[in-house]
Amino acid sequence: MIRTIVGLAIVLILMAILITVVDDYTVPSALSGVGESYTETGVEDTGSVNLVTAVVVAYRGLDTLGEVVVLFSASTAVVLILTLIPIGSGPTPPSSIVSFTAGILPSAIILFGIYIITHGHLSPGGGFPGGAVVASAFLLVMLGSNTVPGKSKFLSSIESLAGLTFGLLGFWGMFAAGQFLNNLVLPAGSPGRIISAGIIPLISLAIGAKVASELSGIFSSYRKAGGEK
Amino acid sequence: MSLFAAASIGTGVMMIVAAVAALIVKKLISAIIIVGFVSLSASLLFLLMDAPDVAITEASIGAAISTVIFLWGRGKIGGEQ
Amino acid sequence: MSAEYLFYWSMAATGLGLILIGLWGVLTRKHILRIALAFTLADTGVNLILVWSGFLPGRSAPIVDSSVTQMVDPLPQALVLTSIVIGVAVAALFVVVGVLASRKSGSADIRHMKELKW
Repeated sequence: MIRTIVGLAIVLILMAILITVVDDYTVPSALSGVGESYTETGVEDTGSVNLVTAVVVAYRGLDTLGEVVVLFSASTAVVLILTLIPIGSGPTPPSSIVSFTAGILPSAIILFGIYIITHGHLSPGGGFPGGAVVASAFLLVMLGSNTVPGKSKFLSSIESLAGLTFGLLGFWGMFAAGQFLNNLVLPAGSPGRIISAGIIPLISLAIGAKVASELSGIFSSYRKAGGEK
Repeated sequence: MSLFAAASIGTGVMMIVAAVAALIVKKLISAIIIVGFVSLSASLLFLLMDAPDVAITEASIGAAISTVIFLWGRGKIGGEQ
Repeated sequence: MSAEYLFYWSMAATGLGLILIGLWGVLTRKHILRIALAFTLADTGVNLILVWSGFLPGRSAPIVDSSVTQMVDPLPQALVLTSIVIGVAVAALFVVVGVLASRKSGSADIRHMKELKW
C-alpha cells in the first residue's frame, strides 16, 4: 500500500514538472531547420518518393546500420540464452483451426511482406515492417506444425549474408564516390519507378532479409526451448 | 468538432484508460492482450498524425511481435504469483 | 494553449500519460512480466511524443505526390522507426532474462529475487 502511494506521488511530481515545460509551447506554423531542407530537396537528392525512407536509408544511413547492429546483438543474446539454458517441455500440438490456416495463409503473408520491402521507396513501408511481416508468416508455419524445428543453419546464414551485404554496399559507396553509404552509386532514375533511387532498394532488401531471419530465429529458439503459450 | 478531432481525442482517452487497466487487472494474459490493444491504438494515432510509415511499423512490430514475446514468457512462468 | 487545437494537445497528453502510467507501473508492480509490460507502455508513449513533435496540423504525410503541397517533418518519423525496432529488442531481452530469474529464484515475485549473484 505504501508502495502505491509513494509511486503515485513520484509520478504526480514528474507530471507537474513536465506540464510546466510544455506550458509555453505554441503550435508551429512552418517547418524549420533540417526538416525543411529534407522536404524541399529530398526527391532530387535521393530519387525516392517516400521521404521517411530517404531519411532512414540515405540521409541517416549510418544510424540504420547501428540499429541493425543493436537488433543483431539482442537476437544473438536471446538465442544464446535459450540454447544454453533449456526451459520447459515440448510444444503442445496445434488445434485443427491453426493447422488448417497454417497450410494456406503463410504464402499470401510472405508475398505481402515482400511487397512492403521492395516498395519501400514508393509507398509507406520499408525494410523493417516488411521483415516483421515475413517473420510473422514463419511464426504461423511454426505454430501449425507438430514437431520442433531441427538445427538449421539456413536462417543464420541468411542473416549473416544480409548484414554483410549492407556493409559491402556501404564500402562500394566509399570506394566509388568517397563517402560511406553514398546513395548515388546507382543512378537516381525517375522518381516513382521501382528501379530508381540509387541503392535504396538494395539496402531495403538487405534490411528486410536481416530482420525477417533474425525474428524467425528468435521464434525458432523459443519453440526449441520448450512449450509455448 | 470534426471527425478527425473526435477520433484523436477518443483514441487518446481509450488508450489512457486501457493502460491503467493493463496494470491493475488480476490475470496476466488479460494484461498482455490489453497492451497489444494499446499498441494498435498507438498505430491509429500515428496515422492521424500523418505518419503512415510509423503506423505500419508499430502495427506489425509493436502489436504482433511484442505480444508473441510476452505470451511466450507468460507460458513459461505462469500468471499471478 | 488555444482551445481550437484541442486535438493537438490531446495527442501530446496521451503520450505523456502513457509515459507516466508506465513509470508508475515499473515502480509499483511486483510480477516481473508486469514490469516488462509497463516498460513497453512507456516506450510507446515516448514514440508518440517524438512523432507529435514533428506534426503540423493541416499538412499531409511526407510522401511526395503530384497533389501534395505541404508536408509534416520526416525526421522524427525516421527516429521513431528506429526506436520501435529497438523497443521490441529490449522487450525480448527483458522477458527472457525475467523468465530466467524467476526460474532461478523459484517465483516471479521480485521481492523473492534478492540474490545479487546467481
